[in-house]
Amino acid sequence: MAYFKCPVCRKITSTHFDLARHYLGQTDKKHKEWLKTQDLSYARLITMQVTEFGNKGYDALAKVLKKEAPEVEMP
Amino acid sequence: MSEYSIIGKPTPNVDGPAKVTGEGQYTFDMTLPNMLYGKLLRSPYPHAKIISIDTSEAERLPGVKAIITGKDTPGGKWGLWRRFRELADQQALAMDKVRFIGDPLAAVAATTEEIAEEALDLIEVEYEQLPAVFNPLEAIKDDAPMVHDDFPNNINATRHIEWGDVDKGFKEADYVREDRYVLEAAHPCAMEVHNTLASYDKGTGRLTVWTSTGSPYFVQVNLAEALKIREGDVRVIKPHVGGHYGGKNSTMPDAVNAAILSMKTGRPVKIVFNRDEEFTTTEHRTGQHMALKIGLKKDGTIVAFEVKTITNGGAYTGLGATTLYLTGTFITMPYKIPNYRYDGVRAYTNIVWGTSIRGFGAVPGKFCRETQLDRAARDLGIDPLEIRRRNAVEPGYEAPGQYKFESCGIMPCIDKMQERIKTKWPKVGKDEGIGYSAFAYMSGGIFNWIHTPYAFSSAHIKVNIDGTVDLYSQAADVGQGHNTVAAMICAEELGIGIEDIRLHLGDTAHAYTDLGAWGSRETLMNGNAIKDAAAQVKDVLISIARLKLGENIAYDLVAKNKRIYLELRPERGFSYYDIVKDAIKANDGVPLTGTGHYTPHNKGMISPAYGMGIMATKAKVDRETGHVEVQDVLIVHDCGQVINPLGARGQVEGSVHMGLGYGLCEEMPMDQGMLLNPSFVDYKILRQRDMPPIETLEVPTYEPNGPFGAKEAAEATIAPAAPSMANAVFQACGAEFFSNVLKPEKVLNAVKEAEKKAKRTRKSTRKGTRKAK
Amino acid sequence: MKRELNIVVNGESHNLFVEPRTLLVQVIRGELGLTGTKQACDSSSCAACSVILDGKVVKSCSVLALQANGKEVLTVEGLADGVELHPIQQAYIDNWAFQCGFCTSGQIMATKALLDENPKPTRQEIRDALDGHICRCTGLNMIQEAVQDAAQRIQAQKSGKGA
Repeated sequence: MAYFKCPVCRKITSTHFDLARHYLGQTDKKHKEWLKTQDLSYARLITMQVTEFGNKGYDALAKVLKKEAPEVEMP
Repeated sequence: MSEYSIIGKPTPNVDGPAKVTGEGQYTFDMTLPNMLYGKLLRSPYPHAKIISIDTSEAERLPGVKAIITGKDTPGGKWGLWRRFRELADQQALAMDKVRFIGDPLAAVAATTEEIAEEALDLIEVEYEQLPAVFNPLEAIKDDAPMVHDDFPNNINATRHIEWGDVDKGFKEADYVREDRYVLEAAHPCAMEVHNTLASYDKGTGRLTVWTSTGSPYFVQVNLAEALKIREGDVRVIKPHVGGHYGGKNSTMPDAVNAAILSMKTGRPVKIVFNRDEEFTTTEHRTGQHMALKIGLKKDGTIVAFEVKTITNGGAYTGLGATTLYLTGTFITMPYKIPNYRYDGVRAYTNIVWGTSIRGFGAVPGKFCRETQLDRAARDLGIDPLEIRRRNAVEPGYEAPGQYKFESCGIMPCIDKMQERIKTKWPKVGKDEGIGYSAFAYMSGGIFNWIHTPYAFSSAHIKVNIDGTVDLYSQAADVGQGHNTVAAMICAEELGIGIEDIRLHLGDTAHAYTDLGAWGSRETLMNGNAIKDAAAQVKDVLISIARLKLGENIAYDLVAKNKRIYLELRPERGFSYYDIVKDAIKANDGVPLTGTGHYTPHNKGMISPAYGMGIMATKAKVDRETGHVEVQDVLIVHDCGQVINPLGARGQVEGSVHMGLGYGLCEEMPMDQGMLLNPSFVDYKILRQRDMPPIETLEVPTYEPNGPFGAKEAAEATIAPAAPSMANAVFQACGAEFFSNVLKPEKVLNAVKEAEKKAKRTRKSTRKGTRKAK
Repeated sequence: MKRELNIVVNGESHNLFVEPRTLLVQVIRGELGLTGTKQACDSSSCAACSVILDGKVVKSCSVLALQANGKEVLTVEGLADGVELHPIQQAYIDNWAFQCGFCTSGQIMATKALLDENPKPTRQEIRDALDGHICRCTGLNMIQEAVQDAAQRIQAQKSGKGA
């Protein structure tokens, strides 16, 4: 089974969607800053997630994490 | 269960004589020798930089003993969400900017209240007004003014909850509908305003604070952080409290500034809010926007449910972030929801902040869900009570990763409701309707955002040579009757009378921690701690009695009716009072003591137990005036083992009063952040003439996690009041509501819409067209 | 400039000097230290401060102290007979007609005034008499029941004395 690590902290999850869920639950500066490097904004992702039915915010972030989150071994 | 001597029996309030004679002391009544009076200077602007504050003229006013601004305070920030430091955003006085009309920026201590008020007028402040934002939908936009640095788009807190596969569930549903709501803010309106008396001891450097609070522990830890002193050097005492309803959880500027002024002057300082300050600067029930999408099968069973909300958080966090979480969980209870998704955002705005008012997030959610469910039932042709029965949970139901119902009486409640309605309201008249709402609520929270290292509740008892018992705990009676419940639980466990117990509750110097009166936690959590403490003493008494009896070790002894005796041979036993004497002698003269504590473990994310039930409201709508007459209310309620039927009834009826007010007349209209109705003249509360009769039937269950099987009875019944009333109007005439205050003009519009819709439906039916499902 | 105030409160005479703008409630709670009477609003709209002035229930926040000069005031502290509670007080306790208790003194004094004038009020008359009293805790119906109970107790007491 593949695992993916958060680009900013040590969190590891088994799906990109779960990683996106973890990510948008973090409110510290580092996590928010990394999103800017990907041309994303924390606030815009949250707004997408909360103003429309569905998981629009998580899906958008998960798409980016598919490329940027390194695959790792479960420690 | 009639096996109890005290539990379950109607028991008068142990504070009764104090409260009916006027002898009971509230913080409001207290004075100390050499006391000064404090007042707060408050911002007239919703958002402004503080350029300068000149207190020189005010300082010269005879009678003024101290004036402080932000720079004179220790500068510590505090908040109830201590686990996330950035959310500890409150401070004694604004430092660089003010964030809502009423945000305090200076404090005065003077020899009289009048002088303190006069001094406020002499303080010169130069502000630079900043753009402000009041609507959470505006606040989260990119160009909105920032209320706090480091919170882009004013996103204070978010919450996501998901289980199952919601999108698949909607595909499988036969019927899907979406509804959007706007929920108004409301104020708790405690009769005793926020007020604090602080006294700093110059000799020891310790602070004693009397304050109108629901949690002495919260005040203690917040003061320690605000003042940058040790928790152990702060003692908080809660006298009688004149109402709370969740509006006195956050430690407020009255407490902190009274403390700072006392530390500065070396004299006791008392700060009392006036009613205007109470309305405009203390916590209220959060206003919010909600969107609900529900998917059901043809038979009315829910297959998918999705909820999105943006809440108007106001200028600080308080317990508002917890409310955001609970909004997303209570809205699912007590129904089986196989697939669920919730997203909530709490936005900072430039108004006073919204928080944990009675119902803690259950109230707006249930209004939305229950009115939506009635519309779905109508469209599916299912009876509204029946659709609730089909979705009601059963004991053992688990919402994956969130909560589990152990005791769970919703089905018998619905059955009993159905039975009773037949005789109570056999028919309805013209423009009358019966509306339902199911409900459920926690018995104290499992989450620990206050980040306490202590057990969630503790109690300590000491039994004296004459058999009298001193019971110590920090638990708070704020009017809900916890003092009486505490005495009852202790007495029942020890087999003695309430008259044998002397209470020492609500003081941080006594005993150990209790997190306070919020989330309906005291009966279950503090009750468990008290029972635990009493059981330890009972064990000692039983051991002594067993030794004296010399009976076979297999025989059990019980403590009841002031005796310790063989359960099977009651005539063989001893007086409790005699055994106490023996036990103390055997203990080298040391009084018997027990220390109990309780912290829930492995009980999910929310609570160890849930009160629940179903409420029905009969109402009549006047199609000419839009007036809604609430004629009658029936509640069938499962609160586990009822500890005190009198107290439980009082809590239920008080909840209904507040809940009906939320549905009929309570609102907080604001203009550019200024509250337009900050007095009892303009903020409407239901009065004697407005209240309908309320019949409450209890369906007792046994909650394994609660003392003697008890669980909460204080908050569950507030949430169903407004939706059951709105549903009654819906049933009467088809009027639909997408916001909670059913004022006459709104009702008239909704009735007209319903009449138009009915006309259109009749026309299209006559034409032979039908909407395919 | 302070003026002389002569007032009888709970049967005791007091001779005080007060500013003309001093409210009766301030004298009761302040100078006389009788804090059983509460204040909960600044707009004379909650009736928590109700006392009986020369036999009539008044909001003591709406009466200047000097207006009570030469008059008799009864506050909640004056109801009990030594250690024996007044039947109204006992009825409030037995019917759980208060929770936080902050509005209770006002409710009790209004109840006393009502029952003095109308010993057997109907439920509606009770509602009308107490409608001006804000209570946030009880839901109000239990207060009405306490008043009905108090009325019966007072009648029973009277006929007991008569017999």
